[in-house]
Amino acid sequence: MVYKVSYVVLGGAHPGAIINQFEQPKVGGHVKIGKNTFEIVEVNELMPARGDFAFLHATVKQIGKSKKK
Amino acid sequence: MTNQLQLYKAVELFNGLTNEQIEALITISQEEVYQEDQVIFSQDDEGEKMYIIRSGQVEISVQADRQAPAETKIFLGQGQIFGEIALIDYGTRSATVRAMNDETIVDAIHRDSFNQLCQSSTAIGFVVMRNLAIDLSYKLRHQNLRSTKR
Repeated sequence: MVYKVSYVVLGGAHPGAIINQFEQPKVGGHVKIGKNTFEIVEVNELMPARGDFAFLHATVKQIGKSKKK
Repeated sequence: MTNQLQLYKAVELFNGLTNEQIEALITISQEEVYQEDQVIFSQDDEGEKMYIIRSGQVEISVQADRQAPAETKIFLGQGQIFGEIALIDYGTRSATVRAMNDETIVDAIHRDSFNQLCQSSTAIGFVVMRNLAIDLSYKLRHQNLRSTKR
């Protein structure tokens, strides 16, 4: 299964991301978006699965910032 | 081509296509590699190619006018497509796209090659265009969700 995930950041200032991944996102997991790292706080189905694709929405909050080069 | 076939099977744009049909798309795609912060294309550029992200992430940003700072609209990662709007409507680029990682790999599909393939195989054209529409609606849903999390 391929998980197409819409990552939305709490607070709305960050634009979030859309990423395809092979592992289902789980609450408490981490994801890197741009140069920042976020913690997943909620996962829901966004649209019904179609073929080998599941469409999810994950709400995340920022936990750290990567060092710039 | 086998590795690329497996990668493309994980790209929603090609969902519903046979292996042979995906391989036909692979033959018209060209790999491009970008480094961190390198611009792939700029807002208002002429646009003739659509891109599929094989690895890394890209930032999509828009300037309201030439004096305004660029506003990041979204980050896109593996398996996502960008540049499809100019491919469909023949307009200029609606946003600037920048690589977020070193060795960001994208596959570019030129409009002319894409149109020729779709004309020679209407089955490919139907599936890809349907998937393009689904992808655009998914991006709209993402923006709607963003507005509810403010």
